[in-house]
Amino acid sequence: MTMLTTIKVAEPVLARPETAALVALAARRVAPLWPLQSAIAVNPLSGFEDLEYDEAVREGANCFEARENLPLNAWRNLLRAGRIDAVTLQKVVIERLGGLEPALAPIGPDVSRLDLLMARLIDLPADDQPRSAGLPADAAFIAKWCAAFFDQGQTAATMPGRDLGFYRAVLALLPHDRDYRDLTGAAGARLLHCVPRDPLDAIAEGLSALEVAADAAQSHLAALVARLPGWAGHIRWRTDHAEPEDTAGAPAGMADLIALWILLERAGALAAPAMPSPPPIDAHALAARFGLARETFGKGWDDVAAIAAIPAPELSRLFMISAERGYRDTIVPDLAAAAKLGVAPQTPQAQLVFCIDVRSEPFRRALEAQGAYETFGYAGFFGLPIARHAHGNKRRQRQLPVLLAPQHDITETPAPGADSAALLRARAFRASTSGWLGTAKQGLGSAFATAEATGALAGTLMAARTLAPRLVRRIADSIAPSADQVMAPDLDTHALRRDFPAFTLTEKLGYASLLFKMTGLATPTARLVVLTGHTGSAVNNPYAAALDCGACGGHSGGFNARVLAALLNDADVRDGLADEGLIVPASTLFLAAEHNTTTDAVTVFDRDRIPSSHQEDLAVLCAALDRAGAANRQARAAKLGRAADDLITGALHWGEVRPEWGLAGNAAFVVGPRWLTRAIDLDGRAFLHSYDWTTDPDGHTLAMILTAPMVVAQWINCQYLFSTIDNQRYGSGDKTTQNPIGRIGVVQGNGGDLRVGLPRQSLFADDGTPYHLPQRLLTVVHAPFERIEAVVTAHDILARLFGKGWVQLVAIDPVTGKAKVWASDSQIAAHPGAFHPTSQQENRS
Amino acid sequence: MTDTAFGDLVVHHVKKIEVIVRAEDQRMIENLFHAAGLGGWSMIRDVAGFGHAGFHQGRTIFNDQSGLVMFVGVAEAAPIAEAARGLARLFQSLPGVTFLSDVAVMRSDYFATVRTEP
Repeated sequence: MTMLTTIKVAEPVLARPETAALVALAARRVAPLWPLQSAIAVNPLSGFEDLEYDEAVREGANCFEARENLPLNAWRNLLRAGRIDAVTLQKVVIERLGGLEPALAPIGPDVSRLDLLMARLIDLPADDQPRSAGLPADAAFIAKWCAAFFDQGQTAATMPGRDLGFYRAVLALLPHDRDYRDLTGAAGARLLHCVPRDPLDAIAEGLSALEVAADAAQSHLAALVARLPGWAGHIRWRTDHAEPEDTAGAPAGMADLIALWILLERAGALAAPAMPSPPPIDAHALAARFGLARETFGKGWDDVAAIAAIPAPELSRLFMISAERGYRDTIVPDLAAAAKLGVAPQTPQAQLVFCIDVRSEPFRRALEAQGAYETFGYAGFFGLPIARHAHGNKRRQRQLPVLLAPQHDITETPAPGADSAALLRARAFRASTSGWLGTAKQGLGSAFATAEATGALAGTLMAARTLAPRLVRRIADSIAPSADQVMAPDLDTHALRRDFPAFTLTEKLGYASLLFKMTGLATPTARLVVLTGHTGSAVNNPYAAALDCGACGGHSGGFNARVLAALLNDADVRDGLADEGLIVPASTLFLAAEHNTTTDAVTVFDRDRIPSSHQEDLAVLCAALDRAGAANRQARAAKLGRAADDLITGALHWGEVRPEWGLAGNAAFVVGPRWLTRAIDLDGRAFLHSYDWTTDPDGHTLAMILTAPMVVAQWINCQYLFSTIDNQRYGSGDKTTQNPIGRIGVVQGNGGDLRVGLPRQSLFADDGTPYHLPQRLLTVVHAPFERIEAVVTAHDILARLFGKGWVQLVAIDPVTGKAKVWASDSQIAAHPGAFHPTSQQENRS
Repeated sequence: MTDTAFGDLVVHHVKKIEVIVRAEDQRMIENLFHAAGLGGWSMIRDVAGFGHAGFHQGRTIFNDQSGLVMFVGVAEAAPIAEAARGLARLFQSLPGVTFLSDVAVMRSDYFATVRTEP
């Protein structure tokens, strides 16, 4: 077809740095999306955190065509199940109506505003909130090229021209792309000849050609970024967080993605966003619920109409506030009462430091029930900014929160006395087998023959893994021992600079000392101090990393525990600690362990190096850990509706879709000594960070806890919150229909956008009821009010999170036990003072 | 200080740009400087000070992104002006400050414009 199509070519108005700035700002619209092997929880609305929570949720819903809250019917089911307190809900509704008097005053025959609003909340048919349609053709087209370009070795034939960059490589192939021709027609063909090859130039020219006003350019580009939040999030990860080798040979930035969108837009191929709105509620239907007609209300009809007009998301919001309020009013009085009681000193049999992860809390409680065991909570990377160079692995593994960059590269060496030969043989065999098998499977000529030749064996193995997964694992373990038992961290050699040690003595001392400062662990210590990281177990599960330790970059935490234990057992470090006044008894031995949160087994590392003097202590502790594990497994199994023993099988079974509940249910972050929470069953819903305010006069430690571990907890909380609210847009949907793609993420079906967030099975029961109650994080700090206020006001991020309603902060005064709530920015404007009594915090958003 | 004070020392008059932003926005400034053609710059991490929002603490040791960072770039007038135009766009949405000044350098080749992609 030959046809003359006019293409508007305009001189760019923006200079390159201006375009770069607009692109950078637009990129913030989406959160970075980490690859599956190091899944990091992020707030999908992190780009909106400068806004008040409610406004951010509305903006996010508009931007991503997502829900603002759970559907009303889901909240009603939770209310019926007793997971929302009816009395609390009624209090929240009364506050929404302006207090008791306006709520209860009759506006019609025996009808009050409270009656009307409660009827809308509980009785009247609920209109679902807007939901997105399927992926439009333009987004499917861009997603197709993203999948081709960003592939990290999954395909046998990679996309040509990747070294040119994403935009240029795609441009080079578009003349041969039928989808592009169908989508853009003649205009698209002509554009291919004349658009700039540089993405920034292409964007600048495109904005001019499209006559986008200067003050609208940023929002215009941001809207393009938001059309495929998954792939855009992947690009943000590549740009801001990836290792150089992750992106080598295939450069791509957000400008590349936007330039492709601009190309489609200039060709007139951009689909209009679908924004279905829920129909308005009929005020007459609301009146009819009480058997009344309009005339009977008189002047009160305006109130009926106003309540009928409240949008469904706001009704759901009232339920969410009720959930938050009910939770807060349950645990804060208990904590305040414990603060008044104080602590009874005890001599512990052993001390164990766990990760702050919510899954540690019930295990700690179970262990403490076994004897005089004192437990602490600390960020699971144990304060070590390290990267692990695992033996046999070419890539380094970041064992720290994404807020930090690694400062120490730790290599591994065979543990003394361990037989590493079997491990090395097994690894060599596996590498060789997967090499030729992979080549044969992907070869055009050999694929079918390979399937024929190996099908019987593969089928037999699959049958064995299905019917006897434990037996298969035992056989595998007998062939290749666990790397963690054979290899040990090598602190004497820097992984990248072999002539240097991984740590200087000063650095060792700093990290060792930090443990005491951050957790309140005091000397003299017990005979055994066990640093306990955690890991999860899952097979054939793209989300396995989500069960590991977030503080360790989505990896197992045992490695960090081993490194810190080795530092703390170093004689020179002990001497240095003594100089700081931390006199660790010579009888104290630091050990490293790892809690498997799927099976509740605890592995103690380097047992063969434990001196005979401590073997009996260890035997007693291990027996207690076994009992605690069994008790916790039993309790967790009940929540999963399964037998305890079945959890161990599930951890090894390739068909398991819910090996554990992970961090579902997370709701609180408590900063204080363990004695504050020890008598309270927090039901696995609280991150517990140990903290002793008496040893932190300047608030530095508190600042570190709130600006890092609490921030990570907020990301986790928001990921669970939004993944539950809209599992299609903010979560990743049903696991059973997902496919991993490019070794970087999952898609639903055979293509489309990369899915962000958590799968349905991690959040919802099989009947569709939310297991995770969507509510914002409640942070409770045991410290004087003025010290907390000084820390919060000195750190933008804290003032933002607490002031704009992303996290609710409650302070408990250590002396009086009185609890106060940090006021939102709008409340402070109305009533000066950072802390308000809890009673003034009603209906807070 | 006058030119006479330099004697036969050859100096070149160029522009300096100093930018203070949140550490979490550091990458944006780097990309922008690249796009403007700055051949290099210095960074001072962990900047503390007092401003519109009160006192800014330095970063905490568990969070590299919690403090402020300062960029110091020197180049010819054209790329500095382009960088400033880009910064003006950024600061419509982000907190931060920019200082522009005239400076003299001895080795002008160190501050040559480089065209690279962000």
